[in-house]
Amino acid sequence: VDVLLKAGGDTPIMRTKKWAVERTRTIQGLVDFIKKFLKLMASEQLFIYVNQSFAPSPDQEVGTLYECFGSDGKLVLHYCKTQAWG
Amino acid sequence: SCSMAGEEDFFLEEKRFRQFCEEFVKHSQQIGDGWEWRTSKDFGDGYLSKTHFQVRNRHIPPDLKEKNNDNTEEMLFAHVEEPSDDSQAAGVCSTEEVVRYEYHVLYSSSYQVPVLYFRACFLDGRPLTLDEIWGSVHASYQARLQEGPWDTITQQEHPILGQPFFVLHPCRTNEFISAVLRGSQEHHRNINYITLWLSTVGPVVGLNLPLSYAKLAPEQSTAAAV
Repeated sequence: VDVLLKAGGDTPIMRTKKWAVERTRTIQGLVDFIKKFLKLMASEQLFIYVNQSFAPSPDQEVGTLYECFGSDGKLVLHYCKTQAWG
Repeated sequence: SCSMAGEEDFFLEEKRFRQFCEEFVKHSQQIGDGWEWRTSKDFGDGYLSKTHFQVRNRHIPPDLKEKNNDNTEEMLFAHVEEPSDDSQAAGVCSTEEVVRYEYHVLYSSSYQVPVLYFRACFLDGRPLTLDEIWGSVHASYQARLQEGPWDTITQQEHPILGQPFFVLHPCRTNEFISAVLRGSQEHHRNINYITLWLSTVGPVVGLNLPLSYAKLAPEQSTAAAV
């Protein structure tokens, strides 16, 4: 599944935005991946949104999201980080 | 600091809160998700409410499982002697229990955001502690509890019902909602604030919104027709 990741808010933009992701990868898996890629601190939290209006459950599979919300052969997801805690 | 205002804050007016809730309930009714709008006679306010029942598996202590069957009597006897306040040991045979979860969404006029109140109890009325509620929340959601955009979970009196509920403190709600909406100027008028907010904070307290809510944005275009 082709996924296009867009940064929301003050979140850093990823240099590589387009990724091929396995259908069974979960949102939580994607969150962990982006956090590592952006070298976020453990205390920063990242949320992923579809349609910029809904945060899918962490165990939602990317394949399912693509089927429901994909267009032009890709799924667009926005990610947003919150400020470091503490 | 909680009172830091961003460049653009998307505060939720109470009227809009009601409108979003109305849309939300309509969709919930379509898919049978159980949300309803409740009003109170004494207060002008209304709020969203959902009650659902969940069966939880209780762990059988491993040593009870592995004990030699020849010693059945001994095992039963040993069980009876366990302290009565050890909730894990109550009822050797039952491995499941039913928990009643209640979620309420109220409007906070001081923070101008929605606030999530929740509580859970067993069928015999015994309320669950916060730890017991977390026990049934997925591990990745537990991480969010520590790191998410909320201050604390406290126990407070429900403003309308007057009973103790756990509350997800609304202090940082506006901050993260604004961050999400900031990038979508034209689009954000069609976004249901409640859906956006509840889908983000809900999983931490065991509340998941089905994917179909994501299609909640109204169909009508804001572009002028030629």
